[in-house]
Amino acid sequence: MSIDLTFIGQIVVFLALVYLMRKHLFGPMSELMAARAQKIADGLAAADAGTQARAVAEAEIAEQMKEARVKASEILASAEKRAAEINEEALLKARTEGEGIVDAAREEISAELGRARQALREEVADIAMLAAERVVETELDAKRHAELIDGIVSTGFGNA
Amino acid sequence: MAEQGHEGGIAGHLHYWTIKLDESNPFMQIHLDTMLVTLIVATGMFVFALWLKGKLVDGAPAGAQNFMESVVGFVEDTVKDNFPVHNPLIAPLAFTIFVFIALINTIDVLPAFMIGDIAHLFGVPHFRPVATNDLNLPAAMAVSVFVLVLYYEFKLKPVHFCKELLMDPFTNLVPGFLKPFVMPINLILKLVEEIAKPLSLSFRLFGNMFAGEVIFLLIAFLLLSGGPVSMVAGFFVGLGWSMFHLFIGLLQAFIFMILTVVYLSIAHQPVEH
Repeated sequence: MSIDLTFIGQIVVFLALVYLMRKHLFGPMSELMAARAQKIADGLAAADAGTQARAVAEAEIAEQMKEARVKASEILASAEKRAAEINEEALLKARTEGEGIVDAAREEISAELGRARQALREEVADIAMLAAERVVETELDAKRHAELIDGIVSTGFGNA
Repeated sequence: MAEQGHEGGIAGHLHYWTIKLDESNPFMQIHLDTMLVTLIVATGMFVFALWLKGKLVDGAPAGAQNFMESVVGFVEDTVKDNFPVHNPLIAPLAFTIFVFIALINTIDVLPAFMIGDIAHLFGVPHFRPVATNDLNLPAAMAVSVFVLVLYYEFKLKPVHFCKELLMDPFTNLVPGFLKPFVMPINLILKLVEEIAKPLSLSFRLFGNMFAGEVIFLLIAFLLLSGGPVSMVAGFFVGLGWSMFHLFIGLLQAFIFMILTVVYLSIAHQPVEH
């Protein structure tokens, strides 16, 4: 056991080895491991951010779906209300038109009836005139004359 | 090259392959086995680093990259747990210390005489393959760390460090007129405390590995030199000790690394006001 020149040589070898290991092995490996660790950390952070973004998006979707459902139900209620109104309006209009048509038909029937009565009166008058002419022309007796007039009147006015 | 004589017994296996540059000065010698082993291991680590650097992939690691990433991650975590601030030099230093010591200690699990006997075939009188058994290597690493600690102490908090050297621990405990007299005592105690750091760091590693080697030699001499039963027993005892010593080697590498980080961490601690 002695300290001699080997000691100096060992210091040189040791310090040179420290320098070489730092430059060629520890340094590159340490940098590589740090870069990989950073990459993994970035990936995990991105995954966390993605998970959070997904949760936020799902919450937004749920909120929007809720709003859409409310809006859809409002639209549906409004449409049903409008349909009922339209139906009511159409019914009212149809009823009004129907009543108008019936009234017009009644007026027309009444006018037609008046015209028919007028025509019948004119025809009865003509027949009466004709009958009177025949009575005068043929000189019927009073009894026959009365029967004839009654027959004409019953025939002519019976339908009036 | 002056060779040490081959002595018998365990002591004969505890000599280094030495080249003496000055016979009269014991410092002027080099342990060639220690230098050769550390250079081979260091070169191997460097070649492996270059090879792995060209094969690094960004994606999922596999094979050697996967293994080394686990080692690098372990060292980085250890440094982060113990260090108050970021210093880009500390983790590579701790990594090099851990891997370098662990690799050299692992050589100790080879059979006790194998490397020495192979070296003998090439005319080498002594060869000790585990460089951490030579105090020069643990001391070199410990002194390097100690110098680095002093550098950061003076760089980051020079006034505080000098104040600690002169004022702690007795200055605040004595009356004002005695303060100048206790400062040298404080300085001596503080120097002892500081010098104890590299000493304990180096001697802990050296002592553990040296003792492990001696036990290997004891097992070899006591059991393998006997009859067949003794040899079989010696083989299994040696194998068990190898497994245990492998664990000790890794543990010592970790202890050296963690103490290095702790000492440097103390040097980086911010000054409390």
